Amino acid sequence: MDIIEIKSVTKVYKPLDFWKNDRVVGIDNLSLKIKKGEVFGLLGLNGAGKTTLMKILLGLLKPTSGSVNILGSNIEDEKIRAKIGYLSELPYFPKYLKAKEILAYFAEILGLPENTKKERINSVLKTVRLTEKAETRIKGFSKGMQGRLGLAQAILNDPEILFLDEPMSGLDPLGYKETRDIILDLNRRGRTIFFNSHILSEVEKICNRVGILHKGKLIDVQPAAKVIKKYKNLENYFVRMVAPGGVK
Amino acid sequence: MRNILAVTDYIFKQSFRNRILNVLILFAVFTIGFSLVISELAQEAEIKIVMDFGLFAIGLFAFLTLVLSVTVQMFEETELKTLMLIMVKPIKRHEYIIGKYMGIIATVFMNVLIMLCILMVIISLRGGDPWDIKLLAAAGYSFASVALLSSVALLLSVVTTSVPGCIIFLVFIYALGHLTIHLKNLTADSNNAVLKFCVDVVYYLVPNLELFNLKDKIFSTEALFAPGYLGFVAGYTLLYVAVILTVTSVIFKNKEFY
Repeated sequence: MDIIEIKSVTKVYKPLDFWKNDRVVGIDNLSLKIKKGEVFGLLGLNGAGKTTLMKILLGLLKPTSGSVNILGSNIEDEKIRAKIGYLSELPYFPKYLKAKEILAYFAEILGLPENTKKERINSVLKTVRLTEKAETRIKGFSKGMQGRLGLAQAILNDPEILFLDEPMSGLDPLGYKETRDIILDLNRRGRTIFFNSHILSEVEKICNRVGILHKGKLIDVQPAAKVIKKYKNLENYFVRMVAPGGVK
Repeated sequence: MRNILAVTDYIFKQSFRNRILNVLILFAVFTIGFSLVISELAQEAEIKIVMDFGLFAIGLFAFLTLVLSVTVQMFEETELKTLMLIMVKPIKRHEYIIGKYMGIIATVFMNVLIMLCILMVIISLRGGDPWDIKLLAAAGYSFASVALLSSVALLLSVVTTSVPGCIIFLVFIYALGHLTIHLKNLTADSNNAVLKFCVDVVYYLVPNLELFNLKDKIFSTEALFAPGYLGFVAGYTLLYVAVILTVTSVIFKNKEFY
């Protein structure tokens, strides 16, 4: 079953710019299907359009043309949004609020039942190793701790699909491992994960399938095992695909 | 409603705990306290001086609280992109706008309440009546004018992408809001139809903040404290806020997050 379906999506920034100086094609006629239970890694250079695509999937940007289906429906439907989780790159939270207050706020908006809310917040804080910092204001958090809190809010509703935009940014090596373990655990429980990353060694350890986005075009999609068998590692594959003179 | 209250609580905590806002409250308390010194200098009408100066401080600091709240919120939402994590959750965009509005005015209300309490203590110390209904009404209308301006600030924060730009527009509307009635009076006898039309457009579009200015008339004999007038101003505020929040919600619904 296709849980994410992207049909011929194009995103043009400033499409009405008369002189066409600022008109930029962010995503160019992209189609892709992600199956339930997959871990899909989207790779690409800076400015390739990875974040743009993710924002379109999440309804934060509207495609200029084409359509997106998430869980068989439109992302604008609140019932669908209640079933997804999202972590942005280097998330930031208001510095005068406590970690627990922030999670309580998200839990309220997610509509988590009152009787399980507290338990769920404590559980995700434990998962991301922030139990001891639950009553600490964000002001005292490091970048990595904020990243972990970002992951905690993303998994608060035990989402069916988890969207992660550079989830390893700002994390230390232990943070890499913990994030990877959380992703793999969710995947074992049948959850679908769609993520962007630059850290190819981590992508290699997690993904079932990888795609390469280059200058707004999806130039290749392959099962991760096949890529590793053919190119030994993701780095060789990635360089081969995007380097000047590589596969067109 | 659950979502609206969650956003209200979040915005209120975020604003009210902000260090800069705390300093602003301290400064406001100090300024109101300063009215004691000024009243010493004036030989007569001591209570009047304390009330005038205190209400002026309440109006000014309530507006500054709004400006700071909007600056903090907008900076975090646009520069630090905190809004994206919220917008992907199951919340309707108009719920977010209404919750945010309520959070901002709750912050302003708390600040006004603190300042009013200090003023009432000072008036009481000077032998005046701290429960004078005119004093309470004047402070209430200072708050109402900022509540109205808060809706305008929210609209500006949605249509502009730059924090300084939003604040400059807000200060401009604040100034214009106090001037439009004078402009209308000045052009009342003019024969220039175009000028009259332009002034009328500005007069009806920009909030008429002079309607809320009861502090200068607290000792006047005008019927500004009559229930009819107060009810009219309350109705004007509710209608203006409802229209502006509706427009803001419509714009925000179609907003993209780059």
